[in-house]
Amino acid sequence: MEPAILWSLRLGFSARQAESIQKNGIADFLQKSVTAPFTQKPPDFMASEPKSLAELRQIRQQIKNTEDPETKAVLKKQIQNGIAFKAWWIHEIQHSSFPLREKMVLFWHNHFVATQQKVKVNWWIYQHNQLLREMAFGNFKTLTKAVLQTNAMVRYLDNVDNQRGALNENLSRELLELFTLGIGHYTENDVKMGAKALAGLHLGEHKAQYRPRLEDPDTITYLGKTGQFKVEDLVDRIFEQPAVPYLITRKLLQWFIYDSPPEELVTYYGDYFRSVQFEIQPLLQKILVEEYAKPTAGSKIKNPLEFILQLHDELHISNPNENLLVFFLRQQGMDLCNQPNVKGWIGGKSWLTSQIYLQRQHACDLLCRGKELNRRVLKELPETLSTKTAQEYTPKVAFNPNDSANEIKQKMTQRLVFQVDEDLQKQVDAVLKYDFNAKDPNAQEAVMRLFLTLVKSPEFQLI
Amino acid sequence: MVLPDFLHALGTQPLQNQKDSCVVFIQLNGGNDGLNTYIPFDHPGYYDLRPHIAIAKNDIIGKSNGMGWHPALKNWNTIQQNGDLTVIQNVGYPSPNRSHFRSQEIWQTASGAQEYLTEGWLGRYLDLQCTTTQPTGGVNIDSIDNLALRGKEPNSITVKDPARFRSQATTEASQLSTNPQLDFVRKIASTVVEGADDIRRAIAASQTEVSYPTTVLGKNLEWIARLIKGNLHTHVYYTSQNGYDTHDNQKSIHQNKLKELDEAVFAFYTEIKRAGLLSQVTLVVFSEFGRRVRDNGNGTDHGTAAPVFVIGGHTTGKVVGTNPNLDDLDQGDLKFETDFRSVYATLLQQKLQHQPTSIGITQAPLSGIFR
Repeated sequence: MEPAILWSLRLGFSARQAESIQKNGIADFLQKSVTAPFTQKPPDFMASEPKSLAELRQIRQQIKNTEDPETKAVLKKQIQNGIAFKAWWIHEIQHSSFPLREKMVLFWHNHFVATQQKVKVNWWIYQHNQLLREMAFGNFKTLTKAVLQTNAMVRYLDNVDNQRGALNENLSRELLELFTLGIGHYTENDVKMGAKALAGLHLGEHKAQYRPRLEDPDTITYLGKTGQFKVEDLVDRIFEQPAVPYLITRKLLQWFIYDSPPEELVTYYGDYFRSVQFEIQPLLQKILVEEYAKPTAGSKIKNPLEFILQLHDELHISNPNENLLVFFLRQQGMDLCNQPNVKGWIGGKSWLTSQIYLQRQHACDLLCRGKELNRRVLKELPETLSTKTAQEYTPKVAFNPNDSANEIKQKMTQRLVFQVDEDLQKQVDAVLKYDFNAKDPNAQEAVMRLFLTLVKSPEFQLI
Repeated sequence: MVLPDFLHALGTQPLQNQKDSCVVFIQLNGGNDGLNTYIPFDHPGYYDLRPHIAIAKNDIIGKSNGMGWHPALKNWNTIQQNGDLTVIQNVGYPSPNRSHFRSQEIWQTASGAQEYLTEGWLGRYLDLQCTTTQPTGGVNIDSIDNLALRGKEPNSITVKDPARFRSQATTEASQLSTNPQLDFVRKIASTVVEGADDIRRAIAASQTEVSYPTTVLGKNLEWIARLIKGNLHTHVYYTSQNGYDTHDNQKSIHQNKLKELDEAVFAFYTEIKRAGLLSQVTLVVFSEFGRRVRDNGNGTDHGTAAPVFVIGGHTTGKVVGTNPNLDDLDQGDLKFETDFRSVYATLLQQKLQHQPTSIGITQAPLSGIFR
């Protein structure tokens, strides 16, 4: 597989950016991805969502009486908008000319987890999401400070319950364990002290803010330093620790390149990350430029979104029903905005089980026949599903009718799979024999069979 | 009579139910040279037009009515002597296509030469036959999928190596590459086969009682026999044999291929017969086209009509159709006499209890193929 195609798939969700990478180089591509415009305004349905604390308080009162049909309608609307948000995000991802930013948003979204299920406020989830979008390529330390002060995070990790005299350690612990240092680089006492510093950091109108009556004024010792600390001081102290760059560096390598990144690389890039004061863009640049030159194809299992969007792109399905994709992702273990726990989606091998693999196979069959993902693939399709009418479309795979059978096979295999061994080549040769005529009326069908063979192969699952 | 499936002895019980009859297809890939398989040795044209590759008269076996077998097919000759082998001569279709790709597609979809159908003819049959999806409605023992079984619903399965289904746990690493991620995906892929349980059960419920040749075709037929004896209840089995595109070096290559075919089929025939199942199992052997009558010095090029062979299933054991007429050729190629779709119609109607027109086959079934 051409490096440009491989990296278009790794840094995005299809081979669409391959040409740009090929022409301008990977460093230039990164630069363009950073400076490209991105969505600024919230989706339309957000206009009707409650935003102020007063509105939200009122709704919570209402919800206490769940027999009320009006309340049920309100709840139903919130759920619908929650789904609509996921669908909107998938739409943004699919239509982005430089999807690397969205891929970073997805990365951060899986790092600084805050789920719809627990947070329950669509507007805060959107704010959290948009913050990640704006700061995707910025500074990791600054980003950490900002995320900790979102209403979504403060609610998700129970800091609303963390107050002087009745501490709740959840946010303090996850900040150290999952967001920054990782186990082994802090003590239980640091977790306790951190909770004191975070006590009283509660919901605010536009972002989280301290409520004086709930704050803990004590002097604490945190990671060996003593003082009166608040949330940003904690983050500053964390980022002075030697261990801080490696957890996030490892995760970035796992997200883009290696299910199992070699430790030397984690250390190598982690050290560099520290040397550029935790700026994401230079770190990405170093990683991409150096890794681009290496033969690393086939080291990462595609996550469900990479899988399904690439398929749609290759089949030229430009306007799928995103709600079906939302449910496909859920069944594939990648429910957007609803990770099973604060660790997020583990990724790597855990993306694939027998059931999930079978579902991917069925999805290939359906899409190649011009059918939407249906009940066979998606176990539950609620009636709250969108108003878009079911469409049957004509999927098409691109090929040059002037090419010989061998040329078509070669181009398609190089485009779709990272390698072809003897077995796969045999299958490919059996589907399109040497005397296949690409100008035949039925050529599209035959090439589609070749396409299906390739996307259903184990090799297709890897980039 | 429902038999518990942990008794491997039930493999030798004859199937009571007509419902459990099946058809087994062997597709010869590449275009088998029918003229050198079942040979019109009595026609002088055979030796005139094939100076380099004709089989010597003395070598031909089972001579009858001006036709006889290639010497490699000695067991087929025996089967024919037993009355269990029918030859349908000169099978083809109008406006024959000499591209492997296209002609195979035509045979597999039962289309006309200018028609383009998406689903295979057996796939269409299975779509109608299976009221709920049956992953083992059709079973293809091969390393690649076959278009003939492709329907709208997944009612068939392609299995390369049924040995994998012997045990529940896939402890045997199929093929360790240097890529652990790929190995992992392959392992997952192998566990995911729908219909695996049915196949496993059928294999556990039967055993091989005959010695098969260790060729690929031998192994494939061995498995098919196991599944049949194990009461898989599948009506359609499929497999293929490669290597019949004999443009060059035909004498030795064709000899080897036919020998392989002969031995594998005979082992299968013997086992099925011994199990008392021969009347319920119909074997059909065909190729996407025959080859040109005049040789090219060393072999033959793509041709047109060729014989189709039917073994078992209460077949009449006759030779149906006239001997190939080497005086009446179409630009050097044999003219067809029987449309292959009539053969399909016959199988559908008389062996699969299915109306041929329901899957778009309008050619009339043949008489004299089955008793």
